[in-house]
Amino acid sequence: MSDPVRVQLLGEIGSAETITALRGLRDQVHNRMEALLPTLSVEQFYDQLNEVHDALIRRVIALAEADMARMGKGSPPVPYAYLLFGSGGRQEQTLSSDQDSGIVYGNPDSEDDKAKVETYFKELASTIVASLQETGYPPCDGNVISSNPQWCMSITDWEKQLDHWFDEADWEFVRYLLIVADGRLVYGDRELARKLKNAFYSDTLAKPLIVRRMLENTMRHKMLLGVFGQLLKEQYGEEAGSIDIKYGAYIPMVNAIRLMAIQAGLRETSTLERISELKNRDMLAAEDASVYAETFRIFLKLRLITIEHTEDGMFTNNGKLAGSRLTKEMKDELKLALKTGQKLQRRVYKQTMGKLG
Amino acid sequence: MVKKVLITVGALLTLFPAMAFAEAPSNAMLNTGLNSLWVMIAAVLVILMQGGFILLESGSTRMKNAGHVAGKTIFTFGLGSLIYWAIGYGFAFGGSGNLFIGLGDFFYNPGIVYGENDGLSPAIFFVFQLAFATISLSIAWGGFAERAKLSSYLIFTLIYVGLIYPIVAHWIWGGGWLAEDGAQDFAGSTVVHLSGAMAALAATILLKPRIGKFNKDGSANQILGHNQVFTALSVLLLWVGWFGFNAGSTIAVGDGLFGFVAFNTQLGAGAGAVAAMLISWIVLGKSDITAMLNGALAGLVAITASCAFVNPWAAVVIGLVAGVLVFFSQRFFEKKKIDDPIFALSVHGAAGVWGTLANGLFATPELVETVGVGRPGLFYGGGWGQLWVQFESVVVCGAFVFIVSFIVLSIVKMVTGFRVSEEQEIIGLDLSEHGAYGYPEQMKKGQQDLNA
Repeated sequence: MSDPVRVQLLGEIGSAETITALRGLRDQVHNRMEALLPTLSVEQFYDQLNEVHDALIRRVIALAEADMARMGKGSPPVPYAYLLFGSGGRQEQTLSSDQDSGIVYGNPDSEDDKAKVETYFKELASTIVASLQETGYPPCDGNVISSNPQWCMSITDWEKQLDHWFDEADWEFVRYLLIVADGRLVYGDRELARKLKNAFYSDTLAKPLIVRRMLENTMRHKMLLGVFGQLLKEQYGEEAGSIDIKYGAYIPMVNAIRLMAIQAGLRETSTLERISELKNRDMLAAEDASVYAETFRIFLKLRLITIEHTEDGMFTNNGKLAGSRLTKEMKDELKLALKTGQKLQRRVYKQTMGKLG
Repeated sequence: MVKKVLITVGALLTLFPAMAFAEAPSNAMLNTGLNSLWVMIAAVLVILMQGGFILLESGSTRMKNAGHVAGKTIFTFGLGSLIYWAIGYGFAFGGSGNLFIGLGDFFYNPGIVYGENDGLSPAIFFVFQLAFATISLSIAWGGFAERAKLSSYLIFTLIYVGLIYPIVAHWIWGGGWLAEDGAQDFAGSTVVHLSGAMAALAATILLKPRIGKFNKDGSANQILGHNQVFTALSVLLLWVGWFGFNAGSTIAVGDGLFGFVAFNTQLGAGAGAVAAMLISWIVLGKSDITAMLNGALAGLVAITASCAFVNPWAAVVIGLVAGVLVFFSQRFFEKKKIDDPIFALSVHGAAGVWGTLANGLFATPELVETVGVGRPGLFYGGGWGQLWVQFESVVVCGAFVFIVSFIVLSIVKMVTGFRVSEEQEIIGLDLSEHGAYGYPEQMKKGQQDLNA
């Protein structure tokens, strides 16, 4: 914890005055983290990396607020919370993760204020998203991003929107709800973020059937293991022979654990924390919990060596692992982990369907 | 009432006086007539398989080549018919030949009516054989797809239907040296399918893969066909046509063997489809439609040689093995960086070899006696003898077709050029070879999107 380089780096991020400086610091972070990769445990690596990501994002938001003020648009008219979804929400960002984000702000006092407040946050969000892009975070493909009005609204509107999503529960809305479950405050008002989560969980309790819809949505991605226990690799294209670690191992496991966590009403967002909290509440046997955590660590580790490339100065990753980078031992380990993942999926399926009769 | 009948009979007798003196037809006449009728129906079914190939080939390739791919089959079917009539049939079945090649009956004239004791109308036998020759030709086109010049289709039709195919047909069916050895190839797993596939192999090697099929690092890209519904429908058309292909090859109705052949054909095809669907699901984690369709065809190709020689259970085994084989064969050719757009090498080649060899394993003594060719297979106490003959016919016919096709197409490549230019390949053969798109609206829209 008392690594002087790290402390200094975090300090520099916290006091950087320009986006260019932040971008330079991010490149330094990349070099440092890549060098540290062999010396740290998977969890230590992800913890340190996500700490830096959070610091970078926080600084970008603070600079954006200052920018708004400088341009004569004032300071935030009401308190707000900047939320990260997806891997950011789960504190599982890699060196190349995109922006999945949202904003919840306090209710404006009057109708007049409403329009002004809306405009303020709309502009703030665009500034933040653009700055984060400059810092190397590509925007979310699915448009789950704070600059999209659907993901940037007052707490009352958010509550209405959640109700609507729970009521309609069509495929797209269920996907949104699963995204919200991973939401985590990165900057701003803790209370607003808490209120949003409260709304989410009281709705979940009121509508237990939603979990079945979530199950359908969440089990779509299968573990990439064939009937004979062989790894299912990409057949065609430049990535032929590679393994889709993201969608064939990591995401299915995230989804399964998330579903257990939602059913248990857990507020933790990171997968490993969810596993340990499920154990604390006796919803997972200690033995199972440690096997699942170990399995997930393997996926996290492999995810770090997937194929990365830079596009327009932003760090992206297709989540695929070149077959040539896997040794025999790693393959055996991965196969075993995928088998555990399959068992977990079956368990969650049975548990969810059984519970609902 | 009686009056009415008398008037009617009277009127008929006035119109058709011969009716009054007609004798019952002889057994021989009935036999020849029924055989001819059945084989004519079978020939029409086999000709309809060209429709299957049109859909198969165009469905499995891209929209920009669809008109060309579909249209050229009609053209080469027409040209092939003329060539087969002029010389091909003579080399295959001409009466005054030797063990290597038939001679005689060039510019074949079968006569207007058949004789009472012909057993089968010669004209209909010709049409049936012609249908086979042109099917084999359409199989070869699989190796040409999406990049060969139209002129090369013309030249290769002349040589393939005029010489290459007839020689193989003569060896096995026309009293040639493999027929003397007792090679069993009932409806042509080797003669029609393997031959077509070997010509396709020579073509695809000489043409080299389509632009964009393989990456620099050797990995393959999937060039998806533009219409999977066409492809599925083509398989059904071919499947139905295959009853003419196999069951028609009895060229007789007499003892009812054609029914048994049809029965085995159905089992082989079904087994092929099921096996390919299962193996693709097991290996890839997802069941692959293209693999399943190819499996059905591979089952049909494989059972073609053996349909009259094996018991129903063996037909199922032959189909199952073919379905699995075609799946791995596809992957093998892709690994070897041989571009096989229509999967002709695997469906007609690999399955053709297997089907021919299967006779050497499964041919039963009873059926061998009924058909009257060769000896029983290894599993029926026939020893290794028949398997060896089958192996010999596969190797010799395969090598012969490959070498001659390779030489002919190499000459084409040197003299007139075999492949269209890169630019022509990219804009598509519909436009470069014919000046009009098969799908004008869609392709024009694509063009506009590109320019925008």
